[in-house]
Amino acid sequence: MSKKQAGFYIDAQRCIGCYSCAMACKNQYHQEPGVHWRYVYPLKEEIYPHRERAWMSLACNHCEHPTCLEVCPVEAYYKREKDGVVVHEQEKCIGCQNCIRSCPYGAPRFNPARHQAEKCSMCYQRLDAGLKPACVQGCPTYALQFIEDMASFDQSGKVQYLAGFPRFPELNPSVRFRPPREPREVRR
Amino acid sequence: MVFTDFSLVVFSTLAQLAVGLTVMAALQPRAAGESGEVKLKVEWVTAGLILAAALMASMFHLGHPSGSPRALVHLSTSWLSREILAFGCFGGVLVLAFLTLWKNSGGSSLLIRLTAAVGLAALLVSGMVYAPPSFPALNNGVPVLFFLLTAFILGSAFGAYFVGAERQGLLVKVLATSLVVGLVVNLILPSIWLSGGTVARMTGANFYGSWLYWLRIAGEFVVPLAVLGAWKKIPAWLPILLLLGEAAGRIMFLNSVVHTATNLGGLY
Ligand code: SF4
Ligand code: SF4
Repeated sequence: MSKKQAGFYIDAQRCIGCYSCAMACKNQYHQEPGVHWRYVYPLKEEIYPHRERAWMSLACNHCEHPTCLEVCPVEAYYKREKDGVVVHEQEKCIGCQNCIRSCPYGAPRFNPARHQAEKCSMCYQRLDAGLKPACVQGCPTYALQFIEDMASFDQSGKVQYLAGFPRFPELNPSVRFRPPREPREVRR
Repeated sequence: MVFTDFSLVVFSTLAQLAVGLTVMAALQPRAAGESGEVKLKVEWVTAGLILAAALMASMFHLGHPSGSPRALVHLSTSWLSREILAFGCFGGVLVLAFLTLWKNSGGSSLLIRLTAAVGLAALLVSGMVYAPPSFPALNNGVPVLFFLLTAFILGSAFGAYFVGAERQGLLVKVLATSLVVGLVVNLILPSIWLSGGTVARMTGANFYGSWLYWLRIAGEFVVPLAVLGAWKKIPAWLPILLLLGEAAGRIMFLNSVVHTATNLGGLY
C-alpha cells in the first residue's frame, strides 16, 4: 500500500448540482465532446424521494486496489507511491478498453479521437506544484474537497459508500461522502 | 442496442470454434486408412485458419493495433495478457501438431490431445477476462461456461464436415448434450440474474425482454435439437445456423449485460 492515500470528499449537503467541478475539469483538460472525467450524478428518487434534488460528483476514486491497473495488459496504469494517485499513461495505451469495461465506477472513458482510454489523474501535476485539483478549486460551495491523506481524515459523519455509489470493498475507493439531509420545510 | 464490439464477437466466437474443432478431433475416432487421415489434416488446417482469422479480428478491437505485442507485459495480474499468451500457445501447439501430422511422424495424436487441452485452458483464461467486478451478472463462472458451450456446440457441429456421415455418432451425442445444457443454462440464467441486485436484475430483464434472445433460444437450441432428434445426424446447414446463434448470443453477452456504472445514483 502507498505511504499516503489522497482522495476526494463529496459533501452532498453542500452540493447544489451546478456542474462547476465537471466544467473545471473540462477546462483544464479539454476532453473531447461527450467525454467527461468528472460528472455530477443526481441521486434517483428511489434513494432521495424529495422534490429537492441531491447530487454526488464523481470521477476516478484512485482506489487502494485499482481494477484498472490490474486488468490493463500493457501496464499503462501506475499508482504513485507518494500519494496513491492512480495515473493513466496515454502513450502506453493501446485502446483495448479493458479498463473501461472493468472499472466498476466507470471512471476510465474512451477518447474517440485518440482511440485510447483516459481518466481523472487527480491533477497530479497541480498537486506536485502545491495546488488543488481543478475540480476542487472550481467548486463554489466547498462541496468537493481534496483529502490529502485518507488515514488522517476525520471520518465522523462521513460514509465511504453513499446510497447510489456501489460498494466494492476489495477496491477500497478513496472517497468519502457526507450524505444529503432531508430537505427542510420553510413555513411562512 | 448500441453495438460497438463486432470485432470481439468475431474473435471470441471463431477462437472458440477453433478450440472446439481441436477438442473434437482429439475425441473423434477416425476411419482407418488414408481418407481418415486426409480429413483430419483438412480439419486441422481449417482450425488453424479459423484461429488466424479470429486473431486478425481481435486487432480491429484495438485503438492502436501496432502496440498489441506489448499486451503481453502484464502477465502478473492482467487476464487479458494471459489470454493473449494462452491463445499464442494454443496456436503454437496447433502448428506443431500439424507439422507432425503432415510428416506422418509419430507423436501426432499426443500433440492433438495437447492442442485440445491447451485450447480448453485458453478458454478458461479467456472467461476470466470477461468476469470483472463491473458486471455483477458475469463476475463469476458464467463467461467460462458460455465459452465452453460455444466451443462444444460449434466444435461438434463443424466437426461433422470432417468425418464421414456414417461416423457422426459421437459428434451428434456431444452436440445434442451441449445444446440441452446450453438451452437450460440460457433459459435459467436470466431468472437467476432477476433474483440478484439491481444491476443484475437489469441484465436479466434485458435478456428476457429481447427478441434476439428468444430468436436465439428457438433458432439455436429448440430447432436444432428437434432436427437432431428426428434425423440423428448433423445436416450440412446446421453448423451455419448454430454459428449465427452463437454470434447472436455473443452480441447479447457484450451489449446487454449491464455495467454497474450505468446505475450511478440509483439503488444497487
Ligand atoms: S475508480 Fe476505477 S479507474 Fe479509478 S482507480 Fe478505481 S478502478 Fe481505477
Ligand atoms: S484501454 Fe489502454 S489503459 Fe485501458 S486496459 Fe487497454 S491498454 Fe490499458
